This record gives sequence, C-alpha cells and structure tokens, in this order.
Amino acid sequence: MQLSRDVPFSAILVILLLATGLSLLAATSLPPGLRGVAIAALSVTKAALVVLGFMRLHRESRALAGALIGYAALICTLAGLRIALAA
Amino acid sequence: MNVAVRSSGLRAAKPAATEGGMELLLWILVWSELLVFGALLGAFLILSALDPAARAILHGALDLPLAAVATTVLLGSGFFAARAASGHRPRWNLVAAALGGFAFCALKLTAFGHELPVLGEMEGHLPELYWLITGFHLAHVLFVAVLLLVVAWRPAPQRTAAVATVWHLVDLVWLLILPVIYLG
Repeated sequence: MQLSRDVPFSAILVILLLATGLSLLAATSLPPGLRGVAIAALSVTKAALVVLGFMRLHRESRALAGALIGYAALICTLAGLRIALAA
Repeated sequence: MNVAVRSSGLRAAKPAATEGGMELLLWILVWSELLVFGALLGAFLILSALDPAARAILHGALDLPLAAVATTVLLGSGFFAARAASGHRPRWNLVAAALGGFAFCALKLTAFGHELPVLGEMEGHLPELYWLITGFHLAHVLFVAVLLLVVAWRPAPQRTAAVATVWHLVDLVWLLILPVIYLG
C-alpha cells in the first residue's frame, strides 16, 4: 500500500479522540447491555486504528497486524461481556 | 516483517541478518508484554465479576475525567511517535512523544493521589491488581519515554522505528486497560 493512499496521522488521531469521547459517553449514559457492546466495539476500533493507522503494520505483515487486532478484540469482547452482564 | 537477507555478499549480509534478528527480538518483546498484560487484565475481569461490591467501590474511587485526559495525552504522543517513524523531523517528534509520556505519568500520579485514600482502605485482590496493572503500565510509559529521548539524541531510522513500535505497544495496552478497568 502506498503512503499517499494511507489516511493521514492527524485524521487517525482525530478519530481516536472521537472514539475515546464516545467511549466515555457510553460509559456514563448507556444501559449495561448497550454499554458493553458500545465500549467493546469502540475499544477494538481504537486498537485497530493504532495498529493500522499509527504502526502501519499491515504494510509489513498482514498476519502480525491481524494477530494484534485479534488479541485486542478478544480482551475488549471479554470486557464488554463483563460490563453487559453486570446489571 | 522483513527478515530477508537481501545481499549475496557475506559482509553485506551480516548487518541485514542482525537487523532481522533485532526485529524478531522486538516482536518477541511486544508479544511477551501483551501476554503479561493480557493475563493481568483477564484476572482483573474475573475478580471484578466475582466481587461486584469491590468493583463498585473501586469504580467509584477512579478519576474518569483524569483518565480521559491521560488517554488524550497518550494518543497525542503516539501521533508524534508515528510521525517520527515515518521520517517527519524525527528528533523533534520523538521529543514531543516523550514529553507526552511524561505528562501522562504526571496525570496518572495525580490520579493515584486521589484514589489512594479509598483504595488503601479496601481489602481483597481487586485493588492490588489495579495498582499492579496501572503501576506496571506507568513504569513502561516512564521507561519508554526516556528511551524516546535517548533515541532522539541520534535518531537513526531503524532505532526510531523500533522505539516507536514499543511506544505504540504502550498506547495499545492503555487502550485495553481503559475498557477493562475504567469504563466498566
């Protein structure tokens, strides 16, 4: 993938900050079930953005990038489940 | 990951092989760190599910707005590290990333000061795990921020890329700590 086709770092940062703000909003205002799903989804999105946007690991190894995102998804899903079932 | 030895000459092949070896070591370090933090976060999730009362007290003591500011600062420093690794004024971007790391440490220590009175009175393993996970992460941030400054002194592309990768690992771990500990 060419550099010119990559999303600029500043755009990645803005999306990361927006996702963080949305996570905090979800944590304070949503009911447990929805909160768990929203926080898990937003957290996986942030992890994927760091790996693909900042590290740009997909250029060097798709397998390594996929493994890192998969690992983050596992932890975030467990966190989301714990939040959703805590009602 | 590029571990191929491109040159046919032995003298030229040696640095490339060393480079590949260093890269492999770097990824072993990254994954070992992720596995340690994953085990700690898994234990935290299990304990917090088993003891909802302790989780509620812990959650009440945490300073969520300060954690949000710390997250913003850490993500901002990741932005500077990414710029350094892509060759944009590596020295200044590495210094900016390190300053973000030190600011994160200051914010986290301030949060610890707020949380200590409540968490100090709690019994059980949940607060201990909280201190262990966040303290261990804080130590990583501090150590790698110093490393960023050391690399900024003479920012060779290979070193800059390596230290930026470790810095992004620190970012990634914090993004996993956030939903498990703070947002639940």
